[in-house]
Amino acid sequence: MAAFPPEKLSLDPAFPSSPSSSRGRLGALSDAYNRFSSWRSTLGLSNPGSVENLQKEVKNTHLTNFFFDGARADLMKGLSMDPAFQVTHSFSLASQTLPPTYSFGAVFANQQMFLQGNIDNEGNLSGRLNHGWTPTSVTKVQSQLSSTPGHSMIQVEHDHQGADYSVNGKAINPSLTDGAGIYIGSYLQSVTRNLAVGVETLYQRSPVDSEISTSYLAKLTGTDKNWIATAHFQPIGVLQATYWHKLSEKVDAAADLQVIAAPARRDAIATLGAKWDLRMSTFRAQLDSTGKVSALLEQRFAPTFSFTVSGEIDHFKNAAKVGVGVMIESSSLTPEEMGMVPPPL
Amino acid sequence: MPSEETKERIIRAVDFGRTVLHYGWIPFIIYVGYTRSNPQPSLIKLMSPLA
Repeated sequence: MAAFPPEKLSLDPAFPSSPSSSRGRLGALSDAYNRFSSWRSTLGLSNPGSVENLQKEVKNTHLTNFFFDGARADLMKGLSMDPAFQVTHSFSLASQTLPPTYSFGAVFANQQMFLQGNIDNEGNLSGRLNHGWTPTSVTKVQSQLSSTPGHSMIQVEHDHQGADYSVNGKAINPSLTDGAGIYIGSYLQSVTRNLAVGVETLYQRSPVDSEISTSYLAKLTGTDKNWIATAHFQPIGVLQATYWHKLSEKVDAAADLQVIAAPARRDAIATLGAKWDLRMSTFRAQLDSTGKVSALLEQRFAPTFSFTVSGEIDHFKNAAKVGVGVMIESSSLTPEEMGMVPPPL
Repeated sequence: MPSEETKERIIRAVDFGRTVLHYGWIPFIIYVGYTRSNPQPSLIKLMSPLA
């Protein structure tokens, strides 16, 4: 009992100082943070681009994403320029792998919103909605709806691009009742002016079990941005390495190496491709280690009419594919409204 | 953890939402595009591939 008063006394002078000391600690913390962020900004790092777009240049140079076979016609109709609104009727037939289809698409876009929908003759709908809260922070919803049960998919995603980093969070088919689904988080950070490193974590959850896997990313950019090398490594034994080089104003070349060294399967595929951008046409050529040689030519005859030819020869399987396509753009707008002709002074 | 009844209700609501989205998404885009376009297009030009 007798020990209380002196202790209280000794505490008392500390009491008024304790809020200021906690403020001091917070102040020191925010000071340290401010110093850290100002030091970070003096490094002059630029945004590394999103994880999704890590291999964008390579994918744009290679023709894998552009290739088609059979015959195709796209009738595009621009109805408004600002906000952008267009509808598309696409017909495709005589493909070796796909049945003939007709699909109707509509796109609407203004400064913040992007709405897109596409429906085919079997009633399968694919839709996309992007909403930009600020220019660097975008929420995206993608969905595929089909009348066949089990084929529907929805993906909700938020993308944030900071001054020197990018963060992205995704949920694929999240269930509201038991939390099942696939969740993906990724982070990419510029470390020097040329190098960016990142991680991507995938969390797959079902009512019975859950699984986490993490993969690692690296992106090396040339100082004058004319070449990019990327690597994506998954610890289960999958490595994808790409290299893209802008050889001149009109020529891009890209290489892609995919190595699978899992215990169950060992495989590697290398792809080499080039793209030429000419005045009225684009030509892509590609060669890969599975023996496929392919080429695609997009020729624009008029601003509203373009013609596409594609071909692929599989030397190992002795098979070939050919595709022809036309794209016609029509517009209900006058040239002045489209902004193609400068308005008279 | 929600009760079985609530779960059932959520599942039914999600199913209903999916059906609405399936049939309503393209008409919704066309409605938004049609009402906000500048200048407003005519409906026949909007739908027909040939007009």
